[in-house]
Amino acid sequence: MIFFEFAKRNLARHKFRSVLAILGIVIGVLAITALGILGNSVQLAVSEQLCMIGNELVVYPYGEEAISEDNFEKIEKVAEAIPVQSMGDKATLNGESTFVMVYGMRSEDIPKLLEKEAGQFLKHGSLNCMVGSRLADNYELRVGERAALQSQKPRIVGILAERGVGFDINPDNAIIVSDKMFESMYNTTGYNSVIVKVEKIDDVEGAKEEIEARLNKKEEVVMVMELKMIVEGIKGLFNTISIFLLGIGAISLVVAGVSILNVMMMSTVERTKEIGVMRAIGTSKREILRMFLFESLILGVIGGVIGAILGFGAGFLVDVLILHEASYLFAPSSILYVFVGIAFGVGTSVLSGLYPAWRASKLKPIEALRYE
Amino acid sequence: MNVVELVEVTKVYELPRGSVKALDNVTASIEAGEFISVMGPSGSGKTTFLNIIGCLDTPTEGTVEVGGENINGLDDEALTKIRRDKIGFVFQQFNLIATLTALENIEYPMILKGVNGHEEKSKGLVSSVGLDEELGENKPNELSGGEQQRVAIARALANDPDIILADEPTGNLDSKTSRDIMQLLKETNERGKTIIIVTHDPQVASYTKRTFRLVDGRIDSDGVFL
Repeated sequence: MIFFEFAKRNLARHKFRSVLAILGIVIGVLAITALGILGNSVQLAVSEQLCMIGNELVVYPYGEEAISEDNFEKIEKVAEAIPVQSMGDKATLNGESTFVMVYGMRSEDIPKLLEKEAGQFLKHGSLNCMVGSRLADNYELRVGERAALQSQKPRIVGILAERGVGFDINPDNAIIVSDKMFESMYNTTGYNSVIVKVEKIDDVEGAKEEIEARLNKKEEVVMVMELKMIVEGIKGLFNTISIFLLGIGAISLVVAGVSILNVMMMSTVERTKEIGVMRAIGTSKREILRMFLFESLILGVIGGVIGAILGFGAGFLVDVLILHEASYLFAPSSILYVFVGIAFGVGTSVLSGLYPAWRASKLKPIEALRYE
Repeated sequence: MNVVELVEVTKVYELPRGSVKALDNVTASIEAGEFISVMGPSGSGKTTFLNIIGCLDTPTEGTVEVGGENINGLDDEALTKIRRDKIGFVFQQFNLIATLTALENIEYPMILKGVNGHEEKSKGLVSSVGLDEELGENKPNELSGGEQQRVAIARALANDPDIILADEPTGNLDSKTSRDIMQLLKETNERGKTIIIVTHDPQVASYTKRTFRLVDGRIDSDGVFL
């Protein structure tokens, strides 16, 4: 392929200039790849930490008053419902006093919502308790030990598995007790929230409307939050952040594109006479165009590949330094950015070479020959 | 058979200071195998005459036939193909492609045309223009002016064209080298190639068998060089 050979040799003829042009692409692709991987890793990390259950609704009381037993029964007619009582309180754990969340739940509901790591779930009417994973870690709690809460000293019968930040309940830093125990400790009635589970994610809207229709007939009694919307909102936010990061990368690629344009323009002007000679002895416009496009293609491919490799390395560093976790790096959605980076690098380069190549091919042979 | 046929050819250039008639109603026929020089003062239209025969330029009026083909109205692609297949160019400044070796320069037109065995053929051409074979691997800037012009002549011959066009082929050479190059062109003509040379130099014209003298875009005289 003679025109590819020409392109190679012409680039080699001006090594320094070619290296600078490649450097521009390297930086652009590096930025796109590294920022893309970073954005994606953050997104993966967040979705892993958030307990995102899309097919749940959470019903909160509208005003100060808790959700009454009556209203709970109405909700239960719409779909499976889990009533939750909650209270912030001071507890003494392993001799240390700390502020915790206390949830009161019906014992049969606990396994529906939470998983245990050790011990067992609460029995019906139990006066014992379960503790969240973070609480257990921080205070080195073990099954069988006792916690001090109000005037009670419930025995810890189970430790929950880590669940992450949720929108329904956050058990990681909480103590779970039975509904009976909760009522006897705090002397409350009604529920602070009701978690509703629907079968399919598509049923969320309908269930929400039905609950609102049943309960908010005369006045606003409850607020229904759908996790689906919150989940989507958060995902959207992180998407925006990712796009913003990619945008920064794209700007550096545009700069690289301009520098390629500049290099290629210089190259066509310098070689005007040579183009004239080549055209005179029978080289077609298309062949001249191809020769110059090969040059920008070579710059783009070399710059793109080097940039993507460096970008992957930079993504690794950022993941390890910021997120303390390198596994996101090898997720397919992260690896994708390596190829996105290369594609953008090559694309920018070829696009920038297009105009100079077109101009070179349009040169009139006799005028180009006369050029000194 | 006529390899070049110009009938009432006029070429007008539109310049900012007005239009200039570079060729004015020129009619000429050139037979296969002729060895022709084109002389005349600067601005007399010599180069335009050569460019039109070389399909680098098209006439404003009149008809032009090159190698039996009427070039009027042909598009750029067709003209490019005629230049590649039927015409060999030799320039004053040699104009070899700097990134290619001497041999590759000679091969280049054959590669464009898609000729098989271009490597062997270019080696044959190197020796036929009187160059050492080892010089074939050199880049143009490693060759002397005379050597470069020999490579250029070999390149012009690469696709076995109907016509060789040379614009001041000795203009950048010393007199000894000029004589060698003219001798080479003469031998090339004797092997049957039609050659047209534009020159200022009477010494060069004396090698040719027929001379056009152009004055103000017209053929003032056409005959044996005296």
